[in-house]
Amino acid sequence: MLLEADNVSKRFGGLTAVNRVSLSVDAGEIVGLIGPNGAGKTTVFHLLSGFHAPTEGAIRLKGASIVGAKPHAICRRGLARTFQIVQPFVNLTVLENVMVGAFNRTDDVGVARARAVEVLDFVGLAARRDAPARELTLPDRKRLEMARGLATRPELLLLDEVMSGLNPTEIEAIIGLIRRIHAQGVSLLIIEHVMRAIMALSQRIVVLHHGEKIAEGSPAEVSRDATVVEAYLGEEG
Amino acid sequence: MAAEALGAIALGLLLVAPPFLPPYFLEILISVMLFGYLGSAWNVLGGYAGQFSFGHAAYFGIGAYTSTLLFLRLGVSPWLGMFAGGGLAAAFGLAAGYLSFRYGLRGPYFSLVTLAFAEMLRVVAVNTKAVGSSLGLVIPTREAAPLSFVFGGKLSYYYVILAMALGAVWITRRLERSKLGYALRAIRENEDAAEAAGVDALGMKLRAMALSSFLTALGGSFYAQYFAYIDPTITFGPAVSIQGLLQAIVGGAGTVLGPLLGAFVLTPVSELSRAAIRGRAGVDVMLYGLVLILVISFLPNGLMGWVRRRRRA
Repeated sequence: MLLEADNVSKRFGGLTAVNRVSLSVDAGEIVGLIGPNGAGKTTVFHLLSGFHAPTEGAIRLKGASIVGAKPHAICRRGLARTFQIVQPFVNLTVLENVMVGAFNRTDDVGVARARAVEVLDFVGLAARRDAPARELTLPDRKRLEMARGLATRPELLLLDEVMSGLNPTEIEAIIGLIRRIHAQGVSLLIIEHVMRAIMALSQRIVVLHHGEKIAEGSPAEVSRDATVVEAYLGEEG
Repeated sequence: MAAEALGAIALGLLLVAPPFLPPYFLEILISVMLFGYLGSAWNVLGGYAGQFSFGHAAYFGIGAYTSTLLFLRLGVSPWLGMFAGGGLAAAFGLAAGYLSFRYGLRGPYFSLVTLAFAEMLRVVAVNTKAVGSSLGLVIPTREAAPLSFVFGGKLSYYYVILAMALGAVWITRRLERSKLGYALRAIRENEDAAEAAGVDALGMKLRAMALSSFLTALGGSFYAQYFAYIDPTITFGPAVSIQGLLQAIVGGAGTVLGPLLGAFVLTPVSELSRAAIRGRAGVDVMLYGLVLILVISFLPNGLMGWVRRRRRA
């Protein structure tokens, strides 16, 4: 197993944001993490990437515990993430943004630059490399967010709603990009509200509701699951 | 190309012209270089890492007191003493930085804590007889002894501080193009995103802190040797802290040449307003403040930000 979370909980004071959730990602897998707003998906990402420490439970990356490790240390061990609300370094150029990620695997500026150029080419941002990140449109910012994560050379990439706010054409492009990332041997855990995309991409889907895992299975299984349907319909009703 | 030519001419003038300057102008130029140097030292932490220290006087004072005390009490040459002071300041900076960063102090909270550390040292110095308490320390006037950092004329001091300022600029340029430089700017922009991209924010900020405080302390030693007198208010007081950050902010924080450029503008403004308005105490400070307000309002990225916009347009 590449990543295993075992009965992980996170409580903020009296609020239980995540309650005894277990999930895993195998090498080479794309796993979807879905659930209505407030289900605790982003909190799970914060736990896995070291931004929050779990109140209880175990998290292992490649068999070794990462509980209590800082985000940068977890990144060094091969887990990178993006943020739901994109967090570019706005006053740095696109290339410099990605170089920061590339330094995760090298101390050499030239090597980092070469890696960043390669990644920008890969995500389709090569033409914007010298623009300050603040000048990017939202779709480009989403790509930049992914590029910075990819530049760290992760084995597992956590994507937090990289399609939100994008139009159907842009979403298609991002789906294609995620497939190409996967083809490079990177495993993915994806939070997404765009159902069509998550169903198409994921080999397995984990469903959260009110901080608890209510279902897990193939896209087909999950979409037929009565509790899942109820959770989503309940939200809308 | 034009910028490089301009830089070469400026450098040539700074090297060649001073021997022909009247003493008053030479003194101003020494102030420019000292403030530019202190601004550059502050810039490493404040400009690049975005950690606004209001307490760099702590390191300036440690540098001034260490080299002076080692010289007065043990006869150690200030050339060596200044590096002892630098080491001590870096150690103090690391301790203060660790306490602040480890407990997640960011933004104004970090600024206030640094201010408190400097004030703490000032109060300690005022109340410690062994370091001259509030009377301070005098380095007795004596014959020129270059090996003991004592020169016959101001010109030699000028070349020392010029070399220090150019050294600081060179270090900044190296920093900007290094892994540390990229990490610090990423932290300044967004610390969480930097961490997620593999940047050890605590470790990198501590490195910036150590470098910045080391350099600032060397400036303190220079000050002590040049004026041959130090006291707790001059060296540990908030005025020193503010001077350093003003040069950087006015010139352009987080740029290689910003602090030096800031010093070239601010120091003459300060001197001129003092010279122009004699007899009415405080008016010169008000004028100086007005210039600061105008610069910060209209040039939020400092003079270097303005230069860059012009070059792009």
